[in-house]
Amino acid sequence: MNIVEIVLLAIVTFFFAIDQFSLTEIVYRPIIACPIIGAILGDVNTGLVVGGTYELMMVGNMPVGGAQPPNAVLGSVVAMIFAVKAKMDINAALGACMIFATFGQYVVTLTFTIMSGLMAKADKAANEANPKGITAVLNTSMAILGTLFAVIAILAYVGGTAASGALQSLSENASWFMGGLSAAGGMMRFVGFAVLLKIMLSNDLWGWLLAGFATALLFGNVEATASACLILVAFIGVAIALLDFKITSIETKAAQGGVSDGI
Amino acid sequence: MESNAMTSYKDTTPAARLDKQTLNKMVWRSCQLQAAFNYERMQSAGWLWAILPGLEKIHTNKDDLAASMTHNMDFLNTHPFFVTFVMGIVLSMEQQKTDIQTIRSVRISTAAPLGGIGDALFWYTLIPITAGLTANMAIDGSIMGPILYFVIAFGVEMVLRYALMYWSYNLGLTAVKMMTANAKAFTHAASVLGVFVVGALISNYGGGTKLGISIANGEGDPIVIQNYLNMILPCLIAFAFTMMCYVLIKKKNWTPVKCIALFLVIGIVGAAFGIWAGGYTPLVPVPWTVI
Repeated sequence: MNIVEIVLLAIVTFFFAIDQFSLTEIVYRPIIACPIIGAILGDVNTGLVVGGTYELMMVGNMPVGGAQPPNAVLGSVVAMIFAVKAKMDINAALGACMIFATFGQYVVTLTFTIMSGLMAKADKAANEANPKGITAVLNTSMAILGTLFAVIAILAYVGGTAASGALQSLSENASWFMGGLSAAGGMMRFVGFAVLLKIMLSNDLWGWLLAGFATALLFGNVEATASACLILVAFIGVAIALLDFKITSIETKAAQGGVSDGI
Repeated sequence: MESNAMTSYKDTTPAARLDKQTLNKMVWRSCQLQAAFNYERMQSAGWLWAILPGLEKIHTNKDDLAASMTHNMDFLNTHPFFVTFVMGIVLSMEQQKTDIQTIRSVRISTAAPLGGIGDALFWYTLIPITAGLTANMAIDGSIMGPILYFVIAFGVEMVLRYALMYWSYNLGLTAVKMMTANAKAFTHAASVLGVFVVGALISNYGGGTKLGISIANGEGDPIVIQNYLNMILPCLIAFAFTMMCYVLIKKKNWTPVKCIALFLVIGIVGAAFGIWAGGYTPLVPVPWTVI
């Protein structure tokens, strides 16, 4: 137990938690984060090995498209604590850290849910043309995420492997709640879409909404086009928009007194 | 919200070209795109924060700044490293005081497709290659592994952010000047594209909302209720929920926060009874398996 280590660990975890979504979006990766944590705990070499191994493990397990895999930040931090402090074998440490990584994922889900509620604050600041209000919303979000991550890192440092057992049973008991929270999280984007449509969707555009829905389903369910789905949708959308542009231009000209015959 | 209803800016005189210093500042600010990421609007607050220096320079009229900030709080999701491309286009349109509806449509139609390409290019291509090159160096105990990894990944990221900002800002200025010749037709065409893309987003992002009920069926395959729903219409729940919110917000004057609270209840109560997919253990014992 070393108070300097705990404080430094909390600080870097706070930073990595924010870095996984903003700042550099690179430093939190295990290959970089683990040696840094290693330096704090006094064993850079283990940090390099754990980081390299974890990084290779993560390739193909990316935080893409809103899905949240077990969290790499807490995975790295806790794997390092176990490997250096509990002198665990590297593979055992990587295995034992997974329950903490799962909690990291819970924390992310929780933060993203809370922040959905705080968008009203950002709306208010926008409506008052108050840039400081927007800064405050960003800072609140980063503070929540960073603090919760730092707390779990300290828990792992102080509680060691004993904390895993407690977290494991908590995770089992709370699984329905976290399941519900992430189901709700998945639904909240529909509110964002509805707000967009409230302004954009005039009565003559309903057909295009349905057409876009159908087109994306088609591309998204064909294996060959699934990963390029939205760009393909946009290609078709551009063609339709150009056609619409032409038709509206002709209509406008006609309304202004007939299409000129060019003579 | 008065400014919310504005469809065009009060001061329609095009603003001066943004100087290099402001553009560079916004390139760095763009790193905070996801600092307030959330499930409802995703990157919107970070997006607005990133382009604020530009907006403040462009909109000297306070009502216009409020209107601009309000519509820039719309739902947005794109790839963080490509976002400056969207920023450049939007800023060029803001500068020319383009019709607000057009900016909205162009923004979402540019941002959404870039999200997909960005993931494919960065997370599925550059990062695995870089990791392959450097991870073994690290495992062999070389500090050059992480350093090289950082230099390559962060270098590519920042070059992209910087180059895309300038390229798209200049591109946007040229394009917007061409468009203003027939602004009304352009606004309509942009709305068509915007609505088309939002329709696509509903099925592309909404597929995660699924029923998790799987009923054991003796020796045969279990009966998965979601499969029957898919026969009626894939992503039926996503579409129905979006329409429900649309009606609540547009016709019943619900605030977005109220809708979010509703979804929290639907999600958590549903999970207590094991209705939503997600592989958890429901609170109430139910005679089916949650997948």
